[in-house]
Amino acid sequence: MQRFLFFIDHTSVWVGKTFGWCILALTLATSYDVFMRYAFRAPTDWGYDASYMLYGSLFMMAGAYALSRNGHVRGDVLYRFMPIRWQAGVDLTLYFIFFFPAVIALMYSGFEYAKMAWVIKEHSALSPDGPPLYHFKSLIPLAGFFLFLQGIAEVVRCVRALKTGEWPQRLSDVEELEKQILKDAQQGMTGDEILAAVATGKHKEDKQ
Amino acid sequence: MTDPQVGVLMLGLFIAIILLGFPIAFTLIALAVGFGYYAQGNIVFSLLVQRTYGVMSNDILISVPLFLFMGYIVERSNVLERLFHSLQVAMKGVPASLAVATLATCAMFATATGIVGAVVTLMGLLAFPVMLKVGYDVKLSAGVITAGGCLGILIPPSIMLILYGATAGVSVVKLYAGAIFPGFMLAGLYMLYVVGRTLINPRLAPKLPTEQTDIPYVQIFKMLLTSFVPLAILITSVLGAILFGLATPSEAAALGALGAILISIGYKRFNISMLKESVFLTARTSAMVCWLFVGSWSFSSVFSILGGHEVVEHWFTVMQLSPIQFLILAQIIIFLLGWPLEWSEIIIIFVPIFLPLVKFYGIDPLFFGILVALNIQTSFLTPPMAMAAYYLKGIAPPHIKLTEIFAGCLPFVFMVIIAMALLYIFPGIALWLPSVLY
Repeated sequence: MQRFLFFIDHTSVWVGKTFGWCILALTLATSYDVFMRYAFRAPTDWGYDASYMLYGSLFMMAGAYALSRNGHVRGDVLYRFMPIRWQAGVDLTLYFIFFFPAVIALMYSGFEYAKMAWVIKEHSALSPDGPPLYHFKSLIPLAGFFLFLQGIAEVVRCVRALKTGEWPQRLSDVEELEKQILKDAQQGMTGDEILAAVATGKHKEDKQ
Repeated sequence: MTDPQVGVLMLGLFIAIILLGFPIAFTLIALAVGFGYYAQGNIVFSLLVQRTYGVMSNDILISVPLFLFMGYIVERSNVLERLFHSLQVAMKGVPASLAVATLATCAMFATATGIVGAVVTLMGLLAFPVMLKVGYDVKLSAGVITAGGCLGILIPPSIMLILYGATAGVSVVKLYAGAIFPGFMLAGLYMLYVVGRTLINPRLAPKLPTEQTDIPYVQIFKMLLTSFVPLAILITSVLGAILFGLATPSEAAALGALGAILISIGYKRFNISMLKESVFLTARTSAMVCWLFVGSWSFSSVFSILGGHEVVEHWFTVMQLSPIQFLILAQIIIFLLGWPLEWSEIIIIFVPIFLPLVKFYGIDPLFFGILVALNIQTSFLTPPMAMAAYYLKGIAPPHIKLTEIFAGCLPFVFMVIIAMALLYIFPGIALWLPSVLY
């Protein structure tokens, strides 16, 4: 079962991280576009379409990755003080009442939407000679699919937490700096040690 | 039940479910689909996908991941330590110099990164022990770090104003122009408070021993040149390009991210693993923010189809508020929402509910946005849910009590309220610059 969980986790993480590189492409493409505009008075004709496509692909396809890291915001005023079994019970119920219907609706409507774009071979109308839009629109049902998959893994986690009273482990991954620092401090590192770890980028996990 | 009543039920259900702690983005989508199906049948599916595509192709939100990326790179480029040390020696003549330098460092670093947690924990490790060692008052030291770290979400180029701009349909450029003076005013009030209290009671912030501050001016200048100047150039060029219309916010953000990479190369900190960390964190945080938009835009479309907005408007008209009373009530509600919720949720989900009312009372949405931006500072600083205080507590020496940190935050919350009052009495602080520039 653990292997099945990690397989789904790995899939979501891999998809999210791969599309994450869109941010570097977005940075470079937009900078190039601005540079061409001011240096040669020759802005690219693909710059605008490329920018929203890179941005849209980035966040849509990272949705399941964020879910696998428990990265979607919760209003956790009460939630964080609940015993773990309660948390798991609430989550499990709401995954079925809210999450799956929402994601299935997104897949269904996204599929119809993308199909239409493929049928009419839709191109962007925002720039002359606009690039095709159907690949981009196909990301909607695809993002829904990966969320659905990750949702299954989360449901399995809830069931196991209900049984054992402990949340199953998640894959280790890069954390926000403040979380990393707080973790270091909890593990008894001194302030200077933590600062040195931050300065070199080498935290304890990395050494293992 | 009439449709508007169903709309109110939808809002009530949403608030109840938020408190259960389920990921909000999916709660919003599900409620939109469920109630939308009740109201309009199958049309809700095309509404959902159009709102989703609306977020995917929104040209304002493009700058969100870019500014996040810039922030993560700056955060990892080791500029903070240099910045603090150089500002500390450069300000040695000022009363409470360490506290003022801490405020300035926090404000500047937070402006460049836009992230609250990192600057509070890092400065808690860097500046807090130094201040305690020299004998600074614990509360004052805790207050400057927590309050200073939060300034980054107000002072442009801040991500919060982009989210407000996208939600309220106000130009981000105008919001940036409007937020500059209020941001500086708040930072100035913080500094005035620190200096003023020290002048009244010098024991709060003893003078540094002279051997620590006795550094020749040439060297101080050199230190500033390698820490303060690059970061200042980065921030002002990003902001300047936006304000003078040389680049759109997203273009300026892209150049800012590129500039951040160059700075980290300059500090010999750039490598593949820090790039990967920044890329992956950007992906996760962008997904979190933008999926919240997908949920919120679907939700508020269905809410307004059901006529929920009219009900809320009706409640307010029944109360027969004057515009001033409405403004104060709205700010109190947003202040209270800052306890259970994070600022991104307040801006993306609750501001759309207030906006029709803002127009109804004839208040400039730009002005309202700046007030909200000031107000949200308090959500990090007001006990019991002050995130900034918990971050500091997490890394502070064990003998520092959470209550001491809370007590340190409170005077700065009062400064925020004073700033809001000043802004209300003199709206020109926010509205003058946008009116001159555009």
